[in-house]
Amino acid sequence: MTTIYARRKATNAMMMGLCVGAAAVGLAWLALILGALLYKGLAGLNLAVFTEMTPPPGSAGGLLNAIYGSVIVSVIAMLIGTPIGILAGTYMAEYGRFSKLTMIVRFINDILLSAPSIIIGLFVYELIVRPMGHFSGLAGSVALAILVIPVVVRTTEDMLSLVPNALREAGTAIGAPRWIVIRSVGYRAAMSGIVTGVLLAVARISGETAPLLFTALNNQFWSSNLNAPIASLPVTIFQFALSPYQEWQQLAWTGALIITLTVLTLSIIARSLTGRKEGH
Amino acid sequence: MTLAIAERVDNRREKVVRHFALTDTIFHWACRLAAIAVLVILGGVFVSLVSGSWEALAKFGPAFLTTARWSPVTETFGALAPIYGTLVTAAIAIVIAVPVGIGIAVFLTELCPRPLRRPIGIAVELLAGIPSIIYGIWGLFVFAPFLQRTLQPFLIDIFANVPVLSDLFAGPAYGIGILTSSLILAIMILPFIASITKDVFDTVPGVVKESAYGIGCTTWEVVRRIVIPHTRVGIMGGVMLALGRALGETMAVTFVIGNSHRLSASIIAPGTTISATIANEFTEADADVYVSSLMSLGLILFFITFIILAAARYMLLRMGRQAGA
Amino acid sequence: MVSLEKVAPQNVSDRSKIEIKNLNFYYGETKALKNISMVLPERSVTAFIGPSGCGKSTLLRVLNRIYELYPKQRADGEVLVDGKNILDRDQDLNLLRTKVGMVFQKPTPFPMSIYENIAFGVRLYEQVSKSEMDERVEAALRRAALWNEVKDKLHSGGTSLSGGQQQRLCIARTVAVKPEIILLDEPASALDPLSTAKIEELIDELRAEYTIVIVTHNMQQAARVSRQTAFMYLGELVEFDETAKIFTSPREKRTQDYVTGRFG
Repeated sequence: MTTIYARRKATNAMMMGLCVGAAAVGLAWLALILGALLYKGLAGLNLAVFTEMTPPPGSAGGLLNAIYGSVIVSVIAMLIGTPIGILAGTYMAEYGRFSKLTMIVRFINDILLSAPSIIIGLFVYELIVRPMGHFSGLAGSVALAILVIPVVVRTTEDMLSLVPNALREAGTAIGAPRWIVIRSVGYRAAMSGIVTGVLLAVARISGETAPLLFTALNNQFWSSNLNAPIASLPVTIFQFALSPYQEWQQLAWTGALIITLTVLTLSIIARSLTGRKEGH
Repeated sequence: MTLAIAERVDNRREKVVRHFALTDTIFHWACRLAAIAVLVILGGVFVSLVSGSWEALAKFGPAFLTTARWSPVTETFGALAPIYGTLVTAAIAIVIAVPVGIGIAVFLTELCPRPLRRPIGIAVELLAGIPSIIYGIWGLFVFAPFLQRTLQPFLIDIFANVPVLSDLFAGPAYGIGILTSSLILAIMILPFIASITKDVFDTVPGVVKESAYGIGCTTWEVVRRIVIPHTRVGIMGGVMLALGRALGETMAVTFVIGNSHRLSASIIAPGTTISATIANEFTEADADVYVSSLMSLGLILFFITFIILAAARYMLLRMGRQAGA
Repeated sequence: MVSLEKVAPQNVSDRSKIEIKNLNFYYGETKALKNISMVLPERSVTAFIGPSGCGKSTLLRVLNRIYELYPKQRADGEVLVDGKNILDRDQDLNLLRTKVGMVFQKPTPFPMSIYENIAFGVRLYEQVSKSEMDERVEAALRRAALWNEVKDKLHSGGTSLSGGQQQRLCIARTVAVKPEIILLDEPASALDPLSTAKIEELIDELRAEYTIVIVTHNMQQAARVSRQTAFMYLGELVEFDETAKIFTSPREKRTQDYVTGRFG
């Protein structure tokens, strides 16, 4: 009896030790990555990064045009992707709540949500770049918009589904048509959740590189022309990191730090929005 | 109220009602079309990949899948090396990340002191959202040189005289290569697996666990006999999702895979994956058949990940139904 | 023995407002209402009572066709409101619901300010100036005996009110769009006794202007507020009569058993 118990206790101690070890090792690696990123990125962080253009090989410069390009491409992507995502999510949670179409869309959307982003890049290349005959910022925006849509669809549907049916019925019972109930009651009640989804989508696309490689391509100069190749922070990092030039590599680290901080900030804001809602 | 006023009010109501009927139909259709757009996008991805691949697939036929020759000069292309690299890196990454990820989840749900539970849980979730290019750049500048100095020479030496394993760990220590990519993928999908597993662990009703503790089970026995069996389907779903991510991951791999189409038995040798090949070569591809071959690689990746992700979603759906019931 | 003092109707017209003829209702394949026929007089309170699942709420939800929100629910037969069959296909649902208001079991303030909760419904069908709207909001809140409690915080959220206040806000909201019929689905079942008493007082005041239908599982409440009562059981209308009769000398044994507490 006691030996069995002793053995069980020993097994337990060993397995729990392994779990603690797993947690320690796993988290340590992630800490190492963030540490290296901070160490190397901060070394190059100065005002020039935000005020100067990407330099030619071998000279100093900044990331201004890359940051600007990223912002433009991302904003356009959000402008395309957010309405489609919200409307589709609205269909799934409201008009089409019980329809077969909703079930199919939910399944396909979940697949799209985790589909390799490089495949989206290939799709947009075939869809836009090849017919137009050249790379363009617009193509990059469309590619990112396709990544935005599933994120927004998912959160919008989830958040609207959390709105109690009683509220929906009450809006309907006062004589409001469905779309006004959705707008004035549904969206209002689900607002913070939907905003969270949009922020998460911004976070998601702000670091995406693969779908931009052969859509927006890159541009060493300042450009706002959506009909031409445009610089972006991730693609610039990719290009600079793989180069043999010291200055470029440093800028790549600094750019990586900027992206990471942006993504973390957005995720934390997004979390705190829904976190507050749960607290109620 | 006089009759005339009543009539005017009624008239206005009629008008408003007609207006509402119209606007509601418009909004309804806008929503429905947006939902259909999601389907159209996935359909469009498939159609465009097939049409883009057509030329290469017609030229090389099924041999495209089974040859490793990849020569832009002679315009002969075979996908074996990237397919092999994709499957091997993802497999090694999963083998490493799953036990560690589950370990973290067990730690977070059963062992971690309460005040630390939320912060660590949130940290893990935040890390799951870090863009993959960060892992790539770290891999290139920090991790690969580190492996080149430490782990790789060690593996080469220790297994030098062991049959089979000496082939697996043969060649010079480049730093970059299949193994390095696998390790980076493992680190990258780790927070992902940990947070999904933690979420499914949280679905186990507290009462069930308490009653197991109540009859004297140790923590490990509760995890092993209650929590894991209860959440098996959900864990599998999470693992499949992570696998889908590892298979399709581009940036974390492209930096450190070495981009070599030569098949090698050694896992420390440079290799390539589907996504890395596309990322590295697409903008340089000049010949149509070259571009088409890269599209074919995309199509293959699409098929593999579609099946994996569909299976993952199916499992998580079943898990959700179980939890709901 | 329940008190019947308030039952005696004063100045009620006996013109019929709602006429239900051979009404059947289905949830998918399940028949939830079986061949219901009854006539509800104008400007009076009618109560639907019966054990859970008897179909009383279902019947109420037919009267403004709120069930149309869900698939696979359908009604056949006739429900005439002022002589017009509201089950007709060409009946506009939004218009029907402005005429037939509804208050639910749980208070359902919209996620907006107290003022907006009321203005929202008014604005849907009427163009009113700011000052008119202020008057309408005040009138509605006064009607629901809520004005004095909220007049200083009209612009704070509707959810900041207590449960009983929220329910009165919902009644105010319903009254503000000037319906002719008000449906109350167990309006006090989620409230404390004091708030319940206030709601009942309110119903008593509203019945001079509106045709009111109330579903309740509380027999004393039915006895206190209604002029006629329908007892339902398993989807059938067992007995429908003056409330006093239902509670003192019902014709049916099942009614007798229920009102004396022998089952349900």
